[in-house]
Amino acid sequence: MIAAALPPGEEGLAITAGVRSRKIIDNVATIVLWIMASSIIVMLAAFIAYMVYLGAGAISLSFLFGVPKETTAGGGIGPEIYNSFYILFLTLMFTVPIALSAGVYLQEYARPGLFRNIVQFSAESLATIPSIVMGLFGLLVFVYLFKWKFTALGGALTLTLLNLPALMRVTQEALASIPDTLREASMGLGGTKWQTINRVVLPSAIGRLTTGVVLIAGRIFGETAALIFTAGLSVPFNNPYDLNPMRPAETLAVHLWYTHSESIVPDVDRIGNGSALVLLVMVLLFNLVARFAGSRLTRHFTGRNS
Amino acid sequence: MIEPPAEPTAEALAAKDKIVAKDVDIYYGAFQAIKHASLSMKAQEVTALIGPSGCGKSTFLRALNRMHDLTPGARVEGSILLDGADIYGSDADPVVIRHRVGMVFQRPNPFPKTIYENVVYGPRIHGERSKHKLDEIAEHALRGAALWDEVKDRLHRSALDLSGGQQQRMCIARAIALDPEVILMDEPASALDPIATSKIEDLIGVLTEKFTVVIVTHSMQQAARISDYTAFFHLGEIVEVGLTNQIFTHPREKRTEDYITGRFG
Repeated sequence: MIAAALPPGEEGLAITAGVRSRKIIDNVATIVLWIMASSIIVMLAAFIAYMVYLGAGAISLSFLFGVPKETTAGGGIGPEIYNSFYILFLTLMFTVPIALSAGVYLQEYARPGLFRNIVQFSAESLATIPSIVMGLFGLLVFVYLFKWKFTALGGALTLTLLNLPALMRVTQEALASIPDTLREASMGLGGTKWQTINRVVLPSAIGRLTTGVVLIAGRIFGETAALIFTAGLSVPFNNPYDLNPMRPAETLAVHLWYTHSESIVPDVDRIGNGSALVLLVMVLLFNLVARFAGSRLTRHFTGRNS
Repeated sequence: MIEPPAEPTAEALAAKDKIVAKDVDIYYGAFQAIKHASLSMKAQEVTALIGPSGCGKSTFLRALNRMHDLTPGARVEGSILLDGADIYGSDADPVVIRHRVGMVFQRPNPFPKTIYENVVYGPRIHGERSKHKLDEIAEHALRGAALWDEVKDRLHRSALDLSGGQQQRMCIARAIALDPEVILMDEPASALDPIATSKIEDLIGVLTEKFTVVIVTHSMQQAARISDYTAFFHLGEIVEVGLTNQIFTHPREKRTEDYITGRFG
């Protein structure tokens, strides 16, 4: 009966011409997709190798921990590394609580309606502003209007504006990925909304949230345009490791741009290549930490680590 | 000659009304899912709600501990009395109600936490802090759900590693850890294999020693096996209520008979 449905001579199990050509296409597709995927690895590897090749010679203790020089060779990047972490810390201190709370509110509390739409629209608009424009806005507000001049705080607040929408989005997506059945289970046991969010929803989403925060930390670490006009191009001359947020704070990424475009030191290439390598390693580390911390925290909160 | 008043039988004493629903209407927006439903659920008995898909049985069940509060647009009218007090009354609080009326859902929904943390979740959120007390509650609840022997050596492992049937019994343990008076079950075995299902059914029989059980089931055999009373729902109305035995052997209504004999559904 079945054989009758097939063209004559094709009722056997042996491969037919039609099947063979489909298999060839299948193999070709697999190979092409594999090559495309692999090319990403190759590009990254080549990029890193070239950066290491150029920058490795510049790395030394005096370079990593020394202070920069204005006109002579041999300057270091110690204060810049410090400032990068300092501004990162300040920025996260503002960004994380606001973005997390706003994300939780929008995802868990806000009923669909005008207010929620306005917040969502504002966040999306904020997300589309280029960082250089945000930098100029910071210049107008923090530097001129508030008369702060170039400050670490002004830089951090500008970066907060820049990164809030992304982290809020990450928070919303992380919460949206938690099934409603878990919320029902908690509410069904007499949990309040906040208990449900605090004890079930957030712990379940902790992996994604951590990953999101660390990836955004990587972006903050590498940001330049928004900082040039707000945190400035210099470090305090007499106290380069100042804890005071109201002083200029040139970061590593800004320093990289500055030495190449404005500086008159003779060893521009050495400083540039070395700074680029350090920056690259730091950002790669952020990515690794993001993956590790995310999965580790998830295991901790789901009890899968013991 | 005047008959002396008959002594109330043990059966009749036990069959005190635990939850009484009177003229309940439930709406999702403009759609009326339940129409004038009235039903008494007896203390320490199993009441089964049966009926074809979309008949409103789950909707009705979820009204019994105010789970509809969580659904935007859902509205419950009429009164539902728990030991005589209206759970939709102005002074009734959903947190208190859900403490007294627990719920087990259609699909096992363990928290992504350890087995232990799942079971003590309820007592914890209601303020129990003593480690000793929580340990006791966890063991008691897991024994009550016939799961203790299977998990006692891995209480601090993830509940997600349990099988589906074990997860569902853990969810029952989680509900009884709060020591509720009523347990609502929304097709608790529909996602389980036959062996896990029969374990859940055995368990339900034991639960009535302490709890009042209201269970939604799409399986008439299951209703016949485990329940004392059965309510047949059709198109948002309660068509017939009675002792399970009577419903399945001598249904009064034509629609009930058609349904249980498989003529529609």
